[in-house]
Amino acid sequence: MTDLKPARILALESSCDETACAILENGRVLLSSVVASQMDIHARFGGVFPEVASRQHVLAVVPVVEQALSQAHLSLSEVDAIAVTRGPGLAGSLVVGLNAAKGLALGLGLPLVGVNHLEGHIYSSWVYNAGETLPPEPQFPLMALLVSGGHTELNLMTDHLTYRRLGATLDDAAGEAFDKVARLLSLPYPGGPSVQKAAENGDPSRFHFPRAWLENSWNFSFSGLKTAVLYEVNDLKNRSGSLPVDDLAASFQAAVVDVLFKKTIDAAREFGAKEILVAGGVSANRALRQAFQSQTEFKVHIPPLSLCTDNAAMIGSAGYFRYALGHTSGLDMDVQPTWPLS
Amino acid sequence: MPILDEHTLDFFSRSPEQTRRVGMRLGSMLRPGDVICLQGDLGAGKTTFVQGLAQGWGTLDAVSSPTFIIVNMYRRADGAQLYHMDAYRLDSVPEAEELDLESMLAQGPLLVEWAERIRDLIPANHIWLEMEYLAEEHRKMRFTAHGRRNDALLADLRQAVFGGD
Repeated sequence: MTDLKPARILALESSCDETACAILENGRVLLSSVVASQMDIHARFGGVFPEVASRQHVLAVVPVVEQALSQAHLSLSEVDAIAVTRGPGLAGSLVVGLNAAKGLALGLGLPLVGVNHLEGHIYSSWVYNAGETLPPEPQFPLMALLVSGGHTELNLMTDHLTYRRLGATLDDAAGEAFDKVARLLSLPYPGGPSVQKAAENGDPSRFHFPRAWLENSWNFSFSGLKTAVLYEVNDLKNRSGSLPVDDLAASFQAAVVDVLFKKTIDAAREFGAKEILVAGGVSANRALRQAFQSQTEFKVHIPPLSLCTDNAAMIGSAGYFRYALGHTSGLDMDVQPTWPLS
Repeated sequence: MPILDEHTLDFFSRSPEQTRRVGMRLGSMLRPGDVICLQGDLGAGKTTFVQGLAQGWGTLDAVSSPTFIIVNMYRRADGAQLYHMDAYRLDSVPEAEELDLESMLAQGPLLVEWAERIRDLIPANHIWLEMEYLAEEHRKMRFTAHGRRNDALLADLRQAVFGGD
């Protein structure tokens, strides 16, 4: 791959409701990855409750580190640097991982690397399991679509760690729109998977929901789409009393995928990108993956489903490139709950 | 604008910008322990109102509806905190008392969206805001004050919004 110095990174992630630790070599080869999910605990609230989350991180952080080391058959003395998510995320959750990482770095005398969680999602496309053939790494210039519950943005990457933000959502993130529509259709939490499941049996062309193209800009907007679904739902309820939930879900999903897909392709053409990368929780959506995989103009990198949700492997990858390129952090580093990628 | 009684204030907003401005007025008056409850369907303008309120209170943090996170916290330069809760799915939670509203209220004001779903847990003293969709850009807002502190808040808000008394 590159001529960067080899290194083994131990990475921690605790930005929301998953406590995770991973060990990665040279930014790509995953030796172990452990995720302690709090999903069951938060599912009863129908969302993440921050106080509960940070208490769970405290309980889980040491066990996930021990488990990651044991799965990789390594001891702490065989690690070269510690990477950790610094933000964005919940302050009370981030601080648990950050302090654990500082403790490890201080105790072992190792460099500490603070990583942006969004940068981590992007670097999940560099990660491969030990033992698999190493596939070619993404090539710059790269058009990166970052799409999750809290973010929807297009970035042009001209090199490692170099982002030019072209546009972002002006209102709701795509993942948020999925969750709101799940509520409207009385589908369970979390909304992304449950809308996708309903959509599989639905007719995406039954309802023509608006696509906010926002011509002459690379921004997105999903608030109008959400409102259009609301009006359609109210109208149907008033007229017939029952809802074609599957068709509504499929038509809504088609509108989101259309806009995300087409704007990303257009941006890749416009800015002369060689390849496209899709990352973040919504990149797990099957319709979105199929849309990108059905075209042949650009090579597309989408992480495997296991790396679409929060994990520490992606933090280890981004952390490696930061470490190898000389961007380490001091022990006085603090969390940054609202930290933009660029 | 009709004044129903001293505990109630009706406001008809003609644009999102107006909704936001009313939020800013109220936000600038809040202090720790104040509870503002919002009731209204999707599209009634709750998020717009809260964005204005948080701005008026003085935070620079980005305000979004806490869809995945039950409680968002916004900070201000002086270290104060503002809590923003989404109770949409909490009505099915038998242990909702665990939310520990008390400790949040000791730290700052609290906004609760979909408050009607956890009515039993809402402190006796609060302002209840019901928002209703009337037409594309038009929304009805009805504020109801509970408790003396909130009567005073509402009087100040009425003064700020309509002038005179």
